[in-house]
Amino acid sequence: MTLVALIDPNVCAAHGVCEDVAPEIFRVDEVAVVIGPGPDELMIAAAAQCPTSAIRLVERETGEQIYP
Amino acid sequence: MTTEAANGAGAGVVIAGGGLAAQRCAETLRRLGYEGRVRMVCAEPHLPYDRPPLSKAVLGDAAAEDSVAFRPADWYSGKAIEALRGVAASALDAGAHRLALSDGSAIHYDQLVVATGAKPRMLPAFAEYDNVSTLRTLEDSRAIRELLAARARLLIIGAGFIGQEVASGARAAGAEVTVIEAEPLPLHGILGREIGEWFAALHRGEGVELVLGQTVAQIHGASRVQAVTLDEGRRVAADHVLIAIGVVAELDWLAGSGLPAAGIPTDAGGRSELPDVYAAGDAAAFFDAFLGRHALSGHWESAGRQGAAVAHAIVGRPLPTPALSSFWSDQYGTRIQYLGHAQLADRVTLDGDRDARDFTAVYTRDGEPVAALVVGRPQALPDLRDRLRYLTERPPE
Repeated sequence: MTLVALIDPNVCAAHGVCEDVAPEIFRVDEVAVVIGPGPDELMIAAAAQCPTSAIRLVERETGEQIYP
Repeated sequence: MTTEAANGAGAGVVIAGGGLAAQRCAETLRRLGYEGRVRMVCAEPHLPYDRPPLSKAVLGDAAAEDSVAFRPADWYSGKAIEALRGVAASALDAGAHRLALSDGSAIHYDQLVVATGAKPRMLPAFAEYDNVSTLRTLEDSRAIRELLAARARLLIIGAGFIGQEVASGARAAGAEVTVIEAEPLPLHGILGREIGEWFAALHRGEGVELVLGQTVAQIHGASRVQAVTLDEGRRVAADHVLIAIGVVAELDWLAGSGLPAAGIPTDAGGRSELPDVYAAGDAAAFFDAFLGRHALSGHWESAGRQGAAVAHAIVGRPLPTPALSSFWSDQYGTRIQYLGHAQLADRVTLDGDRDARDFTAVYTRDGEPVAALVVGRPQALPDLRDRLRYLTERPPE
């Protein structure tokens, strides 16, 4: 659990795919929000499957962008 | 006589429709603190549900039906949103702020949101046959899934996104599928020759029989279509025919209301020219500042954004940031994403490996990007969106 997910609310269209992939990490109302930590693999899967590519992943310690 | 005042005051917001635009409007009203009555007139027997899975996951997996509902039933009661099911809007009297319903009743509104969506176009020659359908509802999708599971030979008329996605689902189920498209290439008019060629190769590589530039000249069969003959004499046998040639706005019920049935022109907040009547989603033609005209969208993302924009307009809040026209599709396990206005382009540049389903197509006009198609590389989308962001801000020169 070294990644942090950041969601661009202007890009998110609330498809809900991230919540389907990782319900413990994401909740989608009018836009998606991050509700908790979770495994890096799930964050990467959710980010890659987002139809609008609205999820950015950064390293918690360094702030380095991992995805996209 | 109802308990509502005859002029509609206190009647709250009535949303005609139960799709995405309607749902987003209702939930955004509550999120923005709107405390009045909110009613949704859902024509279907279901609570609002999401349609994109109907041409994707639901075709292959009955369990996927369980996750199409936007919200569980108790969400609506918890938010005091009344979802009237199995009843449709049937007539509008905007002067009286009154909406007639298909069950013979009528309800008043303070604000009406027309979000009745669209219905699939049918080819008249096919309309009377038993084994012909369109795909719009959960029931439509379920019926196709059952046909595919039985390995029915499917004939799809139209190689737009619905036709393509069903073809993909049919091949995943191991069913034989023929797609007939009148245009010379799939999506030719929207995405151009290079991408049309790529889509054609994609489907043929997956075993789809794709027939381009032809239409059906003759239908064989009595109550059921058994085969069709195409313009050039070729005969194609089928167990089932899916008509996937696009949609038209579901607005026949507005006849005589003063609003056009082809799509209601609105401003950026969904306001129509009638007082207190808004529109969103496939029923609406929002004003696009970049294109400089009202434009039907027909895409999922714009329907959601328009529903939310209408809620902002109703409660008098600043409208959300406009977003680029966009859509996505999943075919044969590959994610396809699109942004912008490819119809403005004079050139398209491809970067990547088409055969590996990993490439970007950037559409330019006078060297400036106006649209992009991203295949199998979702990580490329944010940068492209940044490059195209100006499209939501200023008109073309």
